[in-house]
Amino acid sequence: MKQETKLLAVGVTIAGMVVGCGANTNTNSTTPNSGNSTNTGSAQTVPQVQLNFLQNKPEVVTQWNKIIQEFHKKNPNITVKQVNPPNTDTELQADVAKGQVPDIIAMGADATFIQMANNGIFKSLAGRPELAKVSPSYTKMLEAEVGKSTPFALPYTANAVPIIYNQTLFKKYHVAVPTTWNQLIAVAKKIKAAGGTPFYNGWKDSWTIAVPWNALATNEEPANFFTQLKANKTSFTKALPTAAARMKQLSSLGNSNEFGTDYNDANSGFANGKGAMYLQGTWVLPVLRQANPNVKLGTFVFPATNQPSKTKMVSGIDSLLALANSGNSTKEQAAMKFVDFLLQPAVATEYANVAGMFSPVKGAKMQDAALRPLQSYITAGRVVDFADHYYPPAMAAGDQYESLLQGALSKNQSAKSILQQMDTLYKQSAAHE
Amino acid sequence: MFRMRLSWAYIWMTIPALGLFMYFHTWPTLHGLMYSFTNWNGFGPFQWIGFSNYAALFKDPQVIHSYLFTFQFAVVTVILVNVLSLIIALALNSKIVLPKTFKALYFMPYVLSTLVVSYIFNYLFSNVEPSVASALHLTNLAQNILGTNWAWVGIVIVACWQGVAFNTILYLAGLQTIPEEVYEASMIDGASPWTNFWKVTFPLIAPFFTINMVLAAKNYLQVFDQIVALTNGGPGTATQSVAFVIYTNGFGGGELAYQSANAAVFLIILILIALLQVRVLQGREVQL
Repeated sequence: MKQETKLLAVGVTIAGMVVGCGANTNTNSTTPNSGNSTNTGSAQTVPQVQLNFLQNKPEVVTQWNKIIQEFHKKNPNITVKQVNPPNTDTELQADVAKGQVPDIIAMGADATFIQMANNGIFKSLAGRPELAKVSPSYTKMLEAEVGKSTPFALPYTANAVPIIYNQTLFKKYHVAVPTTWNQLIAVAKKIKAAGGTPFYNGWKDSWTIAVPWNALATNEEPANFFTQLKANKTSFTKALPTAAARMKQLSSLGNSNEFGTDYNDANSGFANGKGAMYLQGTWVLPVLRQANPNVKLGTFVFPATNQPSKTKMVSGIDSLLALANSGNSTKEQAAMKFVDFLLQPAVATEYANVAGMFSPVKGAKMQDAALRPLQSYITAGRVVDFADHYYPPAMAAGDQYESLLQGALSKNQSAKSILQQMDTLYKQSAAHE
Repeated sequence: MFRMRLSWAYIWMTIPALGLFMYFHTWPTLHGLMYSFTNWNGFGPFQWIGFSNYAALFKDPQVIHSYLFTFQFAVVTVILVNVLSLIIALALNSKIVLPKTFKALYFMPYVLSTLVVSYIFNYLFSNVEPSVASALHLTNLAQNILGTNWAWVGIVIVACWQGVAFNTILYLAGLQTIPEEVYEASMIDGASPWTNFWKVTFPLIAPFFTINMVLAAKNYLQVFDQIVALTNGGPGTATQSVAFVIYTNGFGGGELAYQSANAAVFLIILILIALLQVRVLQGREVQL
């Protein structure tokens, strides 16, 4: 997922600042207290199990070490070693090639995961009681991405695409949080009439255009859109006229320099009050708060339709937990113990809060006030995955469709023309498969 | 006998360099050429598909657009860079104060990495230029040029700012090969500075003009770094150069074989252009 990669890049910088003073970042191993007196009697009979734990987020290394330490206190015969290489996916591919798959893996639901799940690298979790501890809509999302009805991983954190707004500016312009598309446009027009900037768009980086596009497209796509598309029974032109037209509205109500503002400039601009609303995912909240610690941020569900009861929120899996299919039952049992530990509501709550994410773990509580308006959608499972996760790889790779949207919107082309170009790109990309 | 030994020595000295060159340059080129006749996407099995990739290239609007953009960009930049660097070289070669300091100063941009220069200009275009323009109430200019239809002009500006430095040095070297007596003779004949330049200076530095034109054309036809750092091909596909398309679609878009064909076509075009330039321009050179 492109958004996450960018976030990761930003995260590395933040982690560099936060963790930089003191803690060592890359390979961290925390050994249990071997001098523990309660342990000495049984230590001879229960052998030590050493587990390798690969995780891909440099900004949460410290939090993982804290969790591992707590786990060691309760399970003295298991040692978990955290590995956080700079390029996790490459490292994991190399590990697989060497036949040394890490015992537990925390990563995004990306192309590497999908490829490996399809090749039997991860243990199937079918029938495990752990599945009952997480939200089933996210487990299904993972299965849909892999394309098999076998759960190869458990969702651990989730992100979302809401609209982020500046509470101070909403008060200044006397506008309320909208729940339908028409209300959103009315709010935006009121802000514009009062001399403000309704949407602060950083569309020089084309991937940022994909964020609102996903919110609009997923809510308009009919059921089985991608199967129908593959069978040539529907097209972008037929299925998504409203989404394209609404993208044009968002563009016209954006900042005047929206195609000359990149993601970083947009973050600092929005955080410093240059616009009232920001069309970005929840991953940007920590960055905005860093750019301006005093900014009062709020979120509301992207009102992609005019029927609030039918609007779904785009939400993807930010981190999942997968176990290696090693065939070593001692290791697999120990790894499952660690997963059970992680799925405790208290542990999941704390981790999600530090990572700035939602927790699909049942019983976990959201502690970030800015994200609270979205929690009911997560709990109720009123979420849909990013539409572009189902585009052919050649269409999403190299920012192809994002560039298409950027080019068409910057030249103010018609909605029809945008969709025709999407159809052409889809046909080209599907032909490459 | 002596001649024989000497040539063996030369051969032994050449072989390591030749071997490295063949292994790291010629071999991958041939490899790429081979893949251009397959449907390989970078991993997994592949099939031989003959010239299908080449045929498809001429029907691909993205590829055709990238060639048009690249030629437009290269022609404008080559002309601008050569005119500007010749003017700067003439100025630096005349009697000025602190000649060495100024020569060093004008060479500075070339020492910096293209990416660094581009990122600095990216900042200037997106933050400094719009705020200066809006302070002066020039609302038409109060936009980041890289986000408009004029994005290519922004890339030309950056390429010129940096590229002029190198060509200036070559022209300076050329100007210093002209003996003082030639100018003395033309002065006696009463030539104006304008005639002096066109009838004496320019013909005598013509070999340097040739090499500058060929090098600049080669550099700007292969434009890549500036585009990655400034626009990433945008807005839309407006500033995608041939090299940029080969790289992003070849590696990121799973079109490795197809873009290898594109690279092969581009290589042939570059060679043809260089040969043509040398032929036309060398005909105009004069020797003292």
